[in-house]
Amino acid sequence: MRRKPGISGLKSAAAARDQFRAVGENVARVKADLMKEQLATFRSQLEDFARKHKNDIKKNPTFRSQFHEMCAKVGVDPLASNKGFWAELLGIGDFYYELGVQIVDICMLTRSDNGGLISLHNLRLLVCQKHKTGRESVTEDDCLRAISKLKILGSGFEVISVGKKKFVRSVPTELNKDHNEILELAQIQSYVTVEQVERKLSWSSGRATDALKTLLEEGLSMIDNGHVDGISRHWFPCVSTSSAVVEE
Amino acid sequence: MNRQTWLTPANLTSSGRPSLLPDEIERRLLSSVDIDLESSSTPVLKSGLLSLTSHRLIWIDNKASSAFSIHLSSVVKVFPLKKNLFHSPRVTVQVSGGQRSSDVVAVIVIRGKNNDVDEFYGKLVKVWRERFWEITEERESARIDNGGGEGTSRPWAPPVVGVTGILRKEQETWENTDKSLQDSFQDLNALMSKAKEMVSLAERMRQTLLSGSNPQNTGNDEEMGSKQEMQDWLLSVGIASPVTRESAGALYHQQLSRELADFVRVPLESSGGMKNLIDIYCQYNRARGTELISPDDLLRACALWEKFDVPVMLRKFESGVMVIQSKTHSDDEVFSRISDLAVKTYALKKGISPSDAAITLEIAPALAKEQLLAAESKGILCRDISPEGFRFYINLFKDIDVQDMYRIQEHSQLHLWDSATSSMWQ
Repeated sequence: MRRKPGISGLKSAAAARDQFRAVGENVARVKADLMKEQLATFRSQLEDFARKHKNDIKKNPTFRSQFHEMCAKVGVDPLASNKGFWAELLGIGDFYYELGVQIVDICMLTRSDNGGLISLHNLRLLVCQKHKTGRESVTEDDCLRAISKLKILGSGFEVISVGKKKFVRSVPTELNKDHNEILELAQIQSYVTVEQVERKLSWSSGRATDALKTLLEEGLSMIDNGHVDGISRHWFPCVSTSSAVVEE
Repeated sequence: MNRQTWLTPANLTSSGRPSLLPDEIERRLLSSVDIDLESSSTPVLKSGLLSLTSHRLIWIDNKASSAFSIHLSSVVKVFPLKKNLFHSPRVTVQVSGGQRSSDVVAVIVIRGKNNDVDEFYGKLVKVWRERFWEITEERESARIDNGGGEGTSRPWAPPVVGVTGILRKEQETWENTDKSLQDSFQDLNALMSKAKEMVSLAERMRQTLLSGSNPQNTGNDEEMGSKQEMQDWLLSVGIASPVTRESAGALYHQQLSRELADFVRVPLESSGGMKNLIDIYCQYNRARGTELISPDDLLRACALWEKFDVPVMLRKFESGVMVIQSKTHSDDEVFSRISDLAVKTYALKKGISPSDAAITLEIAPALAKEQLLAAESKGILCRDISPEGFRFYINLFKDIDVQDMYRIQEHSQLHLWDSATSSMWQ
């Protein structure tokens, strides 16, 4: 557009600016309308899907985890809010939030036994016991998802890996690499001695005693000094297998 | 025109939520609603929130300072929904004035753009026809007659017992896995591709939101409205909605925020004014029963408290632990109680542990530890880590004069300590 000199030039420039702005606003409005339309179509599509597959999601854990993976790939979080379409139409929210509450309960109950660290396997067993009256089965994947949501509430809920097994931490204890290795070692016999730690991990005696002492202080291990040979054994309730799960 | 006859003032809680009657449940919430009389053109109630519950229509003004309600039992007729290209959609109802005055025709003008009017209308008619308040009245009188609660009614499911039951369950499981998963996955794929479209569209919307408001349009209601809309849309699709400085996030979170502030009052009082966020999450969801909230919802709602005037706040400790505490709870008061505890004779000798503090302060042990750590960073206490764990002692270093290290002043805490501990050696 050619710039005109003088007052008429200024006036036409102002008019042009106004016109551009109007077009911009229009575009924004059109975008908003478009979004509204898309949203309505999406919602009806989701309703159809829900009508056919709501039960599948509830009953089939493989389908459920596939569903979550695809959501993650697309970039939506179906568990983000109770108000979202996903929770409303698929009913998927309640399942996971309820699971979260149950997991918190179980961790509280077992904390005095295992110091705030429970194996994912045991946790799932305990949850399934609670769920006995329900018809849905809960998988480890479900637990993991529920916990990942609980994490943001800042009380130290986290999943850590010790060797090949996963553990759920419910207290804000800091576990460093040394502690992790001891826990891994403890999985064989449920207990370790200082000598074993030094030998198998090739550590100095100071390092081993230090790490074991911290684990004892945090309540993750218990010390047994009553053996005839006089060697203390450090027991780890959290790594015990399902035989430790109490049937009511 | 005396609006007292057909509009009843409604009570609000201290956080701006309507006080619900027993068994009353909120069904829908609309924003930017006027209530007019058909006979006059000036609005009676302008630009507020409208809450449709199982019993009433409640209008709350934007500052949450006053509210009015129309009990659905006094609604004689609900006229068909009127939508017009030029006007905002209107819902017209006829409200009986009772025996004292004649009926009045009220018009509910729904201005906010993100309100789903058809849905609201459908819900209004449904709720009005259901007459839920009569059921609760019956139940009340039945309860009084029977002289005691009968317990809540639950849907009765046929008990699955015996071998038949087990076999039936097995068959169900087989059928479910046998069902053509092919179909399900195909449907899932189709759904996800649509969702992908939504996400890319929403991303562009989000950029507009985050870039802040256009300086030329600040104060423009329309602009604000569309931003609010976008927040709500993002939330329904499942994308984290950003809480910017101007906007307050989705309407849902705003209301939830107020609701939580109410709920949290009683548990806080019984736990010494401070409660762990995760405990509140469990308690609240259990109280809710169905339509539970997600942890994200809880966090957002609590984060909004600083924008509203509510008597509670969210606090994050250094360790990452988050608590809800009432604003009246002051740290200084807690610290003075802690120092009083720390100068008692046994505390001077042995120090205080988190569990001791928990008993004295009447708060949970985990939180007591946080308070002790906070007192330590203020210089009131000193920690002692031993095989017995964490213990805290009163900080005596303040009383020691560097120039004259062995002097113990009269009436100082150092003196107290000296007399308490020297008796140990006798």
